[in-house]
Amino acid sequence: MMDINWALVAPLLVIQVVLLIVALVDLIRIESTNGPKWVWALVIIFFNILGPIVYFIFGRKS
Amino acid sequence: MRTFAVLFQKELRESWRSFKFLWMPLLFIFLGISDPIMNYYMEDILNAVGNLPEGFTITLPDYAPADILLASTGQFQSIGLIVLVVIAAGMINRERQNGTALFIYVRPISFAALYFSKWAVINLLAVLSVILGYGASMYYTAILYGTVEPLLFIQMVASYCVWILFATTIALMFSAMFKTALSITFTVIVLPIGVLVQSLIGQFWNVSPWKLADYSVQLLTQSENEYYLKTLLLTIICTVIFILIGILFTRKNASSVKV
Repeated sequence: MMDINWALVAPLLVIQVVLLIVALVDLIRIESTNGPKWVWALVIIFFNILGPIVYFIFGRKS
Repeated sequence: MRTFAVLFQKELRESWRSFKFLWMPLLFIFLGISDPIMNYYMEDILNAVGNLPEGFTITLPDYAPADILLASTGQFQSIGLIVLVVIAAGMINRERQNGTALFIYVRPISFAALYFSKWAVINLLAVLSVILGYGASMYYTAILYGTVEPLLFIQMVASYCVWILFATTIALMFSAMFKTALSITFTVIVLPIGVLVQSLIGQFWNVSPWKLADYSVQLLTQSENEYYLKTLLLTIICTVIFILIGILFTRKNASSVKV
Protein backbone atom coordinates (compact mmCIF):
# COMPACT_ATOMS: atom_id res chain seq x y z
CA MET A 1 0.00 0.00 0.00
CA MET A 2 2.72 2.44 0.84
CA ASP A 3 5.28 2.70 -1.84
CA ILE A 4 8.11 4.63 -0.36
CA ASN A 5 10.69 6.18 -2.56
CA TRP A 6 13.76 4.93 -0.71
CA ALA A 7 16.10 7.33 -2.47
CA LEU A 8 14.16 10.08 -0.72
CA VAL A 9 14.24 8.60 2.77
CA ALA A 10 17.79 7.21 2.62
CA PRO A 11 19.53 10.42 3.85
CA LEU A 12 17.49 10.33 7.06
CA LEU A 13 18.60 6.77 7.69
CA VAL A 14 22.22 7.61 6.87
CA ILE A 15 22.21 10.50 9.38
CA GLN A 16 20.70 8.26 12.03
CA VAL A 17 23.25 5.48 11.43
CA VAL A 18 26.25 7.84 11.36
CA LEU A 19 25.21 9.48 14.64
CA LEU A 20 24.52 6.09 16.24
CA ILE A 21 27.91 4.65 15.27
CA VAL A 22 29.94 7.72 16.23
CA ALA A 23 28.16 7.99 19.59
CA LEU A 24 28.61 4.29 20.37
CA VAL A 25 32.30 4.27 19.41
CA ASP A 26 32.85 7.36 21.53
CA LEU A 27 30.94 5.80 24.43
CA ILE A 28 33.15 2.71 24.30
CA ARG A 29 36.37 4.69 24.14
CA ILE A 30 35.58 7.38 26.69
CA GLU A 31 36.81 6.87 30.24
CA SER A 32 33.71 7.87 32.18
CA THR A 33 30.38 9.52 31.48
CA ASN A 34 27.87 11.50 33.49
CA GLY A 35 25.85 8.60 34.87
CA PRO A 36 26.21 4.90 34.12
CA LYS A 37 27.51 3.92 30.72
CA TRP A 38 24.92 1.24 29.98
CA VAL A 39 22.08 3.75 30.36
CA TRP A 40 23.71 5.96 27.76
CA ALA A 41 24.09 2.93 25.49
CA LEU A 42 20.34 2.31 25.73
CA VAL A 43 19.56 6.00 25.15
CA ILE A 44 21.81 6.12 22.08
CA ILE A 45 20.38 2.95 20.57
CA PHE A 46 16.68 3.40 21.28
CA PHE A 47 16.07 7.11 20.72
CA ASN A 48 16.32 8.02 17.06
CA ILE A 49 18.55 10.97 16.22
CA LEU A 50 17.98 12.73 19.53
CA GLY A 51 19.55 9.93 21.62
CA PRO A 52 23.09 10.35 20.27
CA ILE A 53 22.75 14.15 20.39
CA VAL A 54 21.60 14.16 24.01
CA TYR A 55 24.56 11.91 24.77
CA PHE A 56 26.98 14.31 23.05
CA ILE A 57 25.60 17.29 24.96
CA PHE A 58 25.10 15.87 28.46
CA GLY A 59 26.81 12.50 28.56
CA ARG A 60 30.43 13.37 27.86
CA LYS A 61 32.52 14.69 30.68
CA SER A 62 34.63 17.55 29.42
CA MET B 1 46.02 38.87 16.80
CA ARG B 2 48.58 36.16 17.42
CA THR B 3 46.87 35.21 20.69
CA PHE B 4 43.56 35.06 18.90
CA ALA B 5 44.93 32.68 16.26
CA VAL B 6 46.33 30.31 18.89
CA LEU B 7 43.19 30.37 21.02
CA PHE B 8 41.02 29.98 17.93
CA GLN B 9 42.92 26.85 16.92
CA LYS B 10 42.59 25.48 20.44
CA GLU B 11 38.82 26.06 20.44
CA LEU B 12 38.49 24.58 16.99
CA ARG B 13 40.42 21.47 18.02
CA GLU B 14 38.31 21.08 21.13
CA SER B 15 35.05 21.36 19.19
CA TRP B 16 36.35 18.91 16.64
CA ARG B 17 37.34 16.36 19.29
CA SER B 18 33.96 16.56 21.00
CA PHE B 19 32.34 15.85 17.59
CA LYS B 20 30.42 19.13 17.57
CA PHE B 21 31.35 19.72 13.96
CA LEU B 22 29.87 16.36 13.12
CA TRP B 23 26.58 16.18 14.94
CA MET B 24 25.47 19.81 14.87
CA PRO B 25 25.38 20.03 11.06
CA LEU B 26 23.82 16.55 10.92
CA LEU B 27 21.10 17.65 13.34
CA PHE B 28 20.27 20.72 11.25
CA ILE B 29 20.30 18.68 8.04
CA PHE B 30 17.93 16.21 9.68
CA LEU B 31 15.62 19.00 10.86
CA GLY B 32 15.78 20.56 7.41
CA ILE B 33 14.81 17.45 5.45
CA SER B 34 12.29 16.00 7.88
CA ASP B 35 9.60 18.57 7.10
CA PRO B 36 9.55 18.33 3.31
CA ILE B 37 9.51 14.53 3.51
CA MET B 38 6.92 14.38 6.28
CA ASN B 39 4.51 16.69 4.51
CA TYR B 40 5.03 14.80 1.26
CA TYR B 41 4.09 11.49 2.88
CA MET B 42 1.47 12.93 5.21
CA GLU B 43 -1.38 11.10 3.51
CA ASP B 44 0.39 7.74 3.73
CA ILE B 45 1.36 8.39 7.35
CA LEU B 46 -2.24 9.24 8.31
CA ASN B 47 -3.50 6.13 6.55
CA ALA B 48 -0.95 3.94 8.27
CA VAL B 49 -1.11 5.20 11.85
CA GLY B 50 -3.97 7.67 11.98
CA ASN B 51 -6.65 5.02 12.66
CA LEU B 52 -9.13 7.05 10.64
CA PRO B 53 -12.74 5.81 10.33
CA GLU B 54 -13.90 4.10 7.16
CA GLY B 55 -14.71 6.49 4.35
CA PHE B 56 -13.12 9.45 6.09
CA THR B 57 -11.49 11.81 3.69
CA ILE B 58 -9.37 14.84 4.31
CA THR B 59 -8.02 17.29 1.86
CA LEU B 60 -4.46 18.24 2.62
CA PRO B 61 -3.45 21.71 1.54
CA ASP B 62 -1.18 22.13 -1.44
CA TYR B 63 2.00 23.42 0.05
CA ALA B 64 3.97 26.12 -1.67
CA PRO B 65 7.78 25.88 -1.41
CA ALA B 66 7.80 28.86 0.97
CA ASP B 67 5.45 27.04 3.36
CA ILE B 68 7.85 24.12 3.61
CA LEU B 69 10.79 26.45 4.25
CA LEU B 70 8.68 28.14 6.93
CA ALA B 71 8.08 24.76 8.56
CA SER B 72 11.81 23.97 8.47
CA THR B 73 12.52 27.36 10.05
CA GLY B 74 10.10 26.41 12.81
CA GLN B 75 12.15 23.28 13.46
CA PHE B 76 15.40 25.26 13.55
CA GLN B 77 13.80 27.76 15.91
CA SER B 78 12.79 25.09 18.42
CA ILE B 79 15.08 22.07 18.64
CA GLY B 80 17.99 23.48 16.65
CA LEU B 81 18.08 26.76 18.55
CA ILE B 82 17.86 25.09 21.98
CA VAL B 83 20.74 22.71 21.25
CA LEU B 84 22.88 25.47 19.78
CA VAL B 85 22.44 27.97 22.61
CA VAL B 86 22.84 25.34 25.33
CA ILE B 87 26.24 24.52 23.82
CA ALA B 88 27.13 28.22 23.62
CA ALA B 89 25.97 28.88 27.19
CA GLY B 90 28.58 26.48 28.53
CA MET B 91 31.57 27.64 26.55
CA ILE B 92 33.24 30.18 28.83
CA ASN B 93 32.07 29.18 32.31
CA ARG B 94 32.69 25.43 31.94
CA GLU B 95 36.39 26.14 31.51
CA ARG B 96 36.35 28.27 34.62
CA GLN B 97 34.56 25.58 36.62
CA ASN B 98 36.72 22.61 35.72
CA GLY B 99 39.92 24.61 36.13
CA THR B 100 41.16 24.54 32.54
CA ALA B 101 40.83 28.30 32.40
CA LEU B 102 43.60 28.63 34.98
CA PHE B 103 46.17 27.53 32.38
CA ILE B 104 45.00 30.29 30.10
CA TYR B 105 44.38 33.08 32.60
CA VAL B 106 47.87 32.92 34.14
CA ARG B 107 49.29 34.07 30.84
CA PRO B 108 49.11 37.69 29.77
CA ILE B 109 46.32 37.25 27.25
CA SER B 110 43.81 39.75 26.02
CA PHE B 111 40.32 38.85 27.15
CA ALA B 112 38.92 40.17 23.90
CA ALA B 113 40.99 37.57 22.03
CA LEU B 114 39.78 34.87 24.41
CA TYR B 115 36.16 35.90 23.95
CA PHE B 116 36.39 36.25 20.19
CA SER B 117 38.08 32.86 19.78
CA LYS B 118 35.02 31.24 21.37
CA TRP B 119 32.60 33.54 19.56
CA ALA B 120 34.19 32.75 16.21
CA VAL B 121 34.13 28.99 16.73
CA ILE B 122 30.52 28.75 17.93
CA ASN B 123 29.36 31.00 15.13
CA LEU B 124 31.36 29.12 12.53
CA LEU B 125 29.58 26.01 13.77
CA ALA B 126 26.19 27.73 13.85
CA VAL B 127 26.41 29.31 10.41
CA LEU B 128 27.74 26.10 8.88
CA SER B 129 24.85 24.14 10.40
CA VAL B 130 22.23 26.66 9.33
CA ILE B 131 23.51 26.83 5.76
CA LEU B 132 23.67 23.05 5.46
CA GLY B 133 20.24 22.71 7.08
CA TYR B 134 18.56 25.22 4.80
CA GLY B 135 20.47 23.78 1.86
CA ALA B 136 19.11 20.31 2.58
CA SER B 137 15.60 21.67 3.14
CA MET B 138 15.73 23.65 -0.11
CA TYR B 139 17.07 20.63 -2.01
CA TYR B 140 14.15 18.46 -0.94
CA THR B 141 11.64 21.25 -1.39
CA ALA B 142 12.93 21.81 -4.90
CA ILE B 143 12.58 18.13 -5.73
CA LEU B 144 9.16 17.61 -4.17
CA TYR B 145 7.39 20.97 -4.37
CA GLY B 146 9.16 23.47 -6.58
CA THR B 147 11.75 26.18 -6.38
CA VAL B 148 11.90 29.68 -4.98
CA GLU B 149 13.77 32.71 -6.21
CA PRO B 150 17.49 31.86 -5.60
CA LEU B 151 18.46 35.42 -4.59
CA LEU B 152 15.61 35.67 -2.11
CA PHE B 153 16.58 32.29 -0.69
CA ILE B 154 20.17 33.43 -0.17
CA GLN B 155 18.91 36.63 1.44
CA MET B 156 16.67 34.61 3.73
CA VAL B 157 19.50 32.32 4.84
CA ALA B 158 21.80 35.30 5.39
CA SER B 159 19.32 37.16 7.56
CA TYR B 160 18.55 33.98 9.50
CA CYS B 161 22.30 33.72 10.12
CA VAL B 162 22.23 37.25 11.59
CA TRP B 163 19.54 36.08 14.02
CA ILE B 164 21.65 33.01 14.92
CA LEU B 165 24.68 35.26 15.57
CA PHE B 166 22.46 37.32 17.89
CA ALA B 167 21.29 34.16 19.71
CA THR B 168 24.77 32.70 20.24
CA THR B 169 26.08 36.10 21.35
CA ILE B 170 23.41 36.31 24.07
CA ALA B 171 24.22 32.77 25.17
CA LEU B 172 27.96 33.55 25.31
CA MET B 173 27.27 36.73 27.27
CA PHE B 174 25.36 34.75 29.91
CA SER B 175 28.15 32.19 29.82
CA ALA B 176 30.65 34.90 30.72
CA MET B 177 28.38 36.25 33.48
CA PHE B 178 27.18 33.21 35.43
CA LYS B 179 27.95 29.61 36.29
CA THR B 180 26.88 26.88 33.88
CA ALA B 181 23.48 25.95 35.36
CA LEU B 182 22.41 29.56 35.77
CA SER B 183 23.61 30.64 32.35
CA ILE B 184 21.80 27.76 30.64
CA THR B 185 18.60 28.67 32.49
CA PHE B 186 18.80 32.33 31.50
CA THR B 187 19.67 31.47 27.93
CA VAL B 188 16.73 29.09 27.57
CA ILE B 189 14.39 31.70 29.07
CA VAL B 190 15.60 34.51 26.85
CA LEU B 191 15.92 32.65 23.55
CA PRO B 192 13.64 29.62 22.98
CA ILE B 193 10.99 30.91 25.37
CA GLY B 194 11.43 34.36 23.87
CA VAL B 195 10.63 32.86 20.49
CA LEU B 196 7.55 31.23 22.00
CA VAL B 197 6.36 34.51 23.56
CA GLN B 198 7.05 36.18 20.24
CA SER B 199 4.78 33.75 18.41
CA LEU B 200 2.01 34.16 21.00
CA ILE B 201 1.78 37.91 21.50
CA GLY B 202 4.24 39.17 18.89
CA GLN B 203 1.61 41.07 16.94
CA PHE B 204 1.74 43.95 19.43
CA TRP B 205 5.14 45.13 18.26
CA ASN B 206 6.87 45.25 14.94
CA VAL B 207 10.56 45.69 15.56
CA SER B 208 12.40 43.20 17.74
CA PRO B 209 15.34 40.85 17.13
CA TRP B 210 13.08 37.89 17.89
CA LYS B 211 11.05 38.80 14.83
CA LEU B 212 14.00 38.56 12.47
CA ALA B 213 13.56 34.83 11.77
CA ASP B 214 9.90 35.34 10.84
CA TYR B 215 10.72 38.33 8.69
CA SER B 216 13.49 36.47 6.89
CA VAL B 217 11.07 33.74 5.78
CA GLN B 218 8.51 36.37 4.81
CA LEU B 219 11.07 37.73 2.37
CA LEU B 220 10.09 34.83 0.13
CA THR B 221 6.42 35.68 -0.02
CA GLN B 222 5.94 39.35 0.79
CA SER B 223 7.50 41.87 -1.48
CA GLU B 224 7.86 44.77 0.93
CA ASN B 225 8.20 44.86 4.68
CA GLU B 226 8.98 48.28 6.07
CA TYR B 227 10.08 46.81 9.41
CA TYR B 228 12.57 44.30 8.02
CA LEU B 229 15.53 46.67 7.68
CA LYS B 230 14.88 48.25 11.09
CA THR B 231 14.75 44.82 12.71
CA LEU B 232 17.96 43.78 10.95
CA LEU B 233 19.74 46.93 12.10
CA LEU B 234 18.46 46.60 15.66
CA THR B 235 19.63 42.97 15.79
CA ILE B 236 23.11 43.89 14.58
CA ILE B 237 23.38 46.75 17.09
CA CYS B 238 22.21 44.48 19.94
CA THR B 239 24.73 41.83 18.89
CA VAL B 240 27.58 44.35 19.06
CA ILE B 241 26.44 45.59 22.48
CA PHE B 242 26.17 42.04 23.84
CA ILE B 243 29.64 41.22 22.50
CA LEU B 244 31.05 44.20 24.44
CA ILE B 245 29.22 43.17 27.63
CA GLY B 246 30.47 39.62 27.11
CA ILE B 247 34.10 40.73 26.87
CA LEU B 248 33.66 42.92 29.94
CA PHE B 249 32.34 40.03 32.02
CA THR B 250 34.96 37.62 30.72
CA ARG B 251 37.55 39.97 32.18
CA LYS B 252 35.61 40.73 35.36
CA ASN B 253 34.86 37.11 36.24
CA ALA B 254 38.35 35.83 35.45
CA SER B 255 39.06 35.74 39.17
CA SER B 256 36.18 33.30 39.76
CA VAL B 257 38.15 30.46 38.23
CA LYS B 258 38.32 27.37 40.42
CA VAL B 259 41.88 26.50 41.48
